[in-house]
Amino acid sequence: MRSYKYDILIVGAGGAGMEAALNASKDENLSVGVITKVFPTRSHTGAAQGGMNAALAYRDTTDTIESHVFDTVKGSDYLGDQDAIEFFCGGMPDLAHELEGMGVPFSRDENGDIAQRPFGGASHPRCCYAQDKTGHVILHTLFENCLKNGVTFHDEYNLLDVATDENGVQGVVAIDLRAGDIVSFQAKVVVLCTGGFGRVYWTRTTNASNMTGDGVAAAMRAGVPIKDPEMVQFHPTGLSSTGVLLSEACRGEGGYLINNQGERFMSRYAPTKMELGPRDLVARSIETEIKEGRGFGEGMKSWVLLDMRHLGAEKILDRLPQVRELAMKFEGVDMITDPVPIRPANHYSMGGIDVIDPYTCATAIPGLFAAGECSNISVHGANRLGGNSVAEVCFFGKHAGIGAREAAPTREFGGTDKLESLVESWEACFKKMRRKRSGTHIYEIRDKMAEAMWNGVGIFRDAEGIKAAMATVDECIELYKNTHIDDSSKVYNNAFMNYVELGNVLTIARAICMGALDREESRGSHSRSDFPERDDVNFMKHSLVTLADDGSYSIDWRDVKVTKYEPQERTY
Amino acid sequence: MDTITFNVRRFDGEDAWNQEYSFKRQTITLLGALNMIREELDDSLCFTQACRHSICGSCAITVNGSAYLACETQLDELIDTFQTNYFYLAPLNNFPVVRDLVVSFDEKAEKMSKVMPWMCPHEGRHDHKQSEADHQKYQQATDCVMCGCCASGCSELRYSNDNYLEPFIMNKAYRFIRDSRDEKGEDRVKIILENDLWKCLHCNQCATKCPKGIPVSSEISYMRRMALRMGEDKSMGARHAYCFRDDLIKTGILNEAMLAVKTEGIVKCAANRIPFTMRMVLSGKMNPLHVMLQKPVKGIDGVRKLYEISQKMDKED
Amino acid sequence: MSTLRYAFFPGCTLESAANELKVSTEITCKKLGIELVEIEGWTCCGASQVQDVDDFFGLLVNARNIALAESQGFDQIMTVCNTCTLMLRTAKSRIDADPALKDKVNDALAEIGLEYKGTAEITHYLWALVRDYGLDRLKEQVKVDLSNLHVANYYGCHILMPPKIMGFENDRNPQSMEMVMKALGAVSVDYEQRLACCGFHAIYPAEKEAETGNAVSLAVAKEAGADCVVTPCPLCHFSLDMWQKDSQEYIDTDITIPVLHLPQVVGLALGFSPKELAINHHVVSAMPLMKSLGLK
Repeated sequence: MRSYKYDILIVGAGGAGMEAALNASKDENLSVGVITKVFPTRSHTGAAQGGMNAALAYRDTTDTIESHVFDTVKGSDYLGDQDAIEFFCGGMPDLAHELEGMGVPFSRDENGDIAQRPFGGASHPRCCYAQDKTGHVILHTLFENCLKNGVTFHDEYNLLDVATDENGVQGVVAIDLRAGDIVSFQAKVVVLCTGGFGRVYWTRTTNASNMTGDGVAAAMRAGVPIKDPEMVQFHPTGLSSTGVLLSEACRGEGGYLINNQGERFMSRYAPTKMELGPRDLVARSIETEIKEGRGFGEGMKSWVLLDMRHLGAEKILDRLPQVRELAMKFEGVDMITDPVPIRPANHYSMGGIDVIDPYTCATAIPGLFAAGECSNISVHGANRLGGNSVAEVCFFGKHAGIGAREAAPTREFGGTDKLESLVESWEACFKKMRRKRSGTHIYEIRDKMAEAMWNGVGIFRDAEGIKAAMATVDECIELYKNTHIDDSSKVYNNAFMNYVELGNVLTIARAICMGALDREESRGSHSRSDFPERDDVNFMKHSLVTLADDGSYSIDWRDVKVTKYEPQERTY
Repeated sequence: MDTITFNVRRFDGEDAWNQEYSFKRQTITLLGALNMIREELDDSLCFTQACRHSICGSCAITVNGSAYLACETQLDELIDTFQTNYFYLAPLNNFPVVRDLVVSFDEKAEKMSKVMPWMCPHEGRHDHKQSEADHQKYQQATDCVMCGCCASGCSELRYSNDNYLEPFIMNKAYRFIRDSRDEKGEDRVKIILENDLWKCLHCNQCATKCPKGIPVSSEISYMRRMALRMGEDKSMGARHAYCFRDDLIKTGILNEAMLAVKTEGIVKCAANRIPFTMRMVLSGKMNPLHVMLQKPVKGIDGVRKLYEISQKMDKED
Repeated sequence: MSTLRYAFFPGCTLESAANELKVSTEITCKKLGIELVEIEGWTCCGASQVQDVDDFFGLLVNARNIALAESQGFDQIMTVCNTCTLMLRTAKSRIDADPALKDKVNDALAEIGLEYKGTAEITHYLWALVRDYGLDRLKEQVKVDLSNLHVANYYGCHILMPPKIMGFENDRNPQSMEMVMKALGAVSVDYEQRLACCGFHAIYPAEKEAETGNAVSLAVAKEAGADCVVTPCPLCHFSLDMWQKDSQEYIDTDITIPVLHLPQVVGLALGFSPKELAINHHVVSAMPLMKSLGLK
């Protein structure tokens, strides 16, 4: 058995993971290692386009941290923990400067300061950006700084499980995908920065194909609850075949949404605003059309059309050159001559590993920390504001690194018994999966799960639909126990990795169903047609879904932390 | 053209072989087609992918020898380009192959560290300002997604030893050299010089295959000029480039016969090039008299005047 | 059809090492009724070398070259060298895209009594044949059967890349050479190194890499059944022909193969003798090949 030993082990090398690594390694007495599923610059942080909120007040001198706090609290539909939000917003201006000092090539205003722009849900223009590639440049800058500081990366080492005992974490078990070895990492402190789990909906997500919640599921198996899993954000216009995000600018510039009858169907749902109605309404309208047979295609591959042709070539080329190119590249459609097939898509997971201390990102298990989209700290509550995701990733990644750095010297290396037994069982599993050929293939189970989740726990939610989805997910969990792949290779067995990932998304999907069913209200992105109102009396609470060793799920609730903002109706 | 066939170069860590996959023609990206093969025909076919919208840089492969970012390449585009329904798919050139279409970037990251690919801020930089004009000098270089298409096409890397730097590493160095916040530009240029800056063959593959359209070859040219401004003008490549300029000013036309002498120096040249020169003379390609008697072109004074003017212009920064 | 008329930009190599290219270009154009008038006072294009020393001077000399052609009454400039084409077109595209740069360039040119207007286009002999002259018309002019001639077309980089500046055809799978060969009746062989780089521009500092690459290219061309390599660029020709013996050092198999300029093959089809086309002036003799084809 190949094994490694680090004082601090970080899992994931996106924005949060690399921030954590940089800050954890500031204590030279500590050894720090990072394992990552992909070469660091491939991480999904790079996909964030818009920017990063920080109340620097360059663009608008009347902006304040307080205002950023309030916007975030309100945006979260009062499900965000206000102490965490205050900590977060209060620290962002310094962090933006810190990142700038590390080399992030922010766009500039006429004074040479970091440029800021308005963003949805923000009462002041406070979104710092670098053209439309903010996440990309932040990710690369963090990687550069990791190279500078000699951070040790184990690339293409995929997390399998977190090992814990009564004293807290022992470490993690991972697969070195290239060698095909199951390896153990013993650590005093483990920081999970493994990203979101949009792939619960498989193709109907804007997320990268590897966003399968590996860390979330591993934490759940280790006994940490997933918090608010039902809070899932959707975007109205993803490209139909791939889910790649098509900018809202299309609707903004006057695009029409058309069904298979050739109708501008928004007239049914928002007769005055039409296509310019709010995101969630537009998304629901598109799904209604598809549900009622007025879409194109079938099942998960259905779509409606976004027609830009009436704008004319000149306007499209002038106003939307990049969006046009995107549709041509990824969907093979030129919007000057043809309408673009689109459908809503999952975009962001607010829920995640239950972090109980926002200042250190600690979970309830001693030595286990989490940050980034895999965590729920909770600053986004029921709905994340644009520009707050990259911000959160960097800010809490940093504080998780500091938290880990301060915790490591107080902890001893734990035992290795749990690590060893996990390695053994994963080795047996890897061996079995490379030979076994019977049962339902992983991709078939995955598609079945994704369709059930999309239909039952997607944009439309009611008790009946959620229960149906839950039943299908349970069925998939059973099928999964006897599933198979065809790849027998030890080297870079991607199919085996897909098998592991499917287990993870199933674990999370079941929790999403449970949270969605038991949260009998509509709040933020969680919209129940049978409970259309927000219920602050019963549900201004975080749902906490726990997975037991026997595979059963249970739910518990915890009050939202309120400092000074009492809930108000959320209108814009 | 209704059936499309991919002939894929496969490798399992020990053995390599080629395998064909056929499917019905449709509107789909290259990455989409690869996924379709994985899901419907063979789940053991390996390639890397993540964002599938050309920002993560994972999915670069070669088709008929030419590097593409698979997620942003439509199958129709390939059919249109190669006028065929049969394609050879292989991993990127100039990378260690892990399995099938999967290559390793670890070695390249290590190599990249040579050029200090991180910001080294000026001592005493306390504010966080940078003018928009200064920002624009390096902004495009930060578009790089490190997909490796440039390195796959690079004509120099193909036969070089490990010293020569991948174009995306050159781009990374350039990105900091042009960043007004950074103070180690000259150090980086020296490092790149030691790593065979003058060996770039000017083939323009890097700039052409870059999915982000970064003009890497122009960046390399900039770094050469910077090296010369720093007085680093003794290398063979530098002397070679100066020959052209000097001949332009002297006669307007290159004196090819003297090129080798001036580039390599008389001693090395005499040792190396005599057989070459003899071949030239014997085939009638070089007239020894012509070498001595080359006359300036009409209007050479104008050329010299232009040179004077260019010397008085604001210096490139 | 009106007569095609071009300002001719020969480039430096035509004045010395590749004089046979000048000869063959001029007689083939004359035969086809294409009028070439050499630009009076043209200079070296900088050869992508001056640009590495002094970018603005490199730009100015090409602005001057173009302005000379414009002032001599031409709206078309033809070159026979990939790099000359690229350098002239690069200058044109930079100046045309940037009015401030154009002013700066014209301020300098004014000092020597010239003006860059931007009215002249820059083309290459190969492109002119395909686009301006027409392949059907070319085919009609063919006098000699070349169906036994198997050629390995070697494009060279600068006639294709960067496509933003060159853009005549797809850089990943160009076909113009094959189309011309087909019109001439010669057979193009398909080989992997069709789009390889000859390394000319760094052949001193990167001698080993360039010559190894050329050795591979020539070996693969031979293996594919080519009788000769044909290139539209005198610099590729320089590397592949004059340095062929040096390249041989890097490979075990015999790579000896003659390398012809595109206009020479055009000339053979039009009925010129190898000597008229100065085919006897290559370092690697093409005369045995000519003999085997029955061409005297």
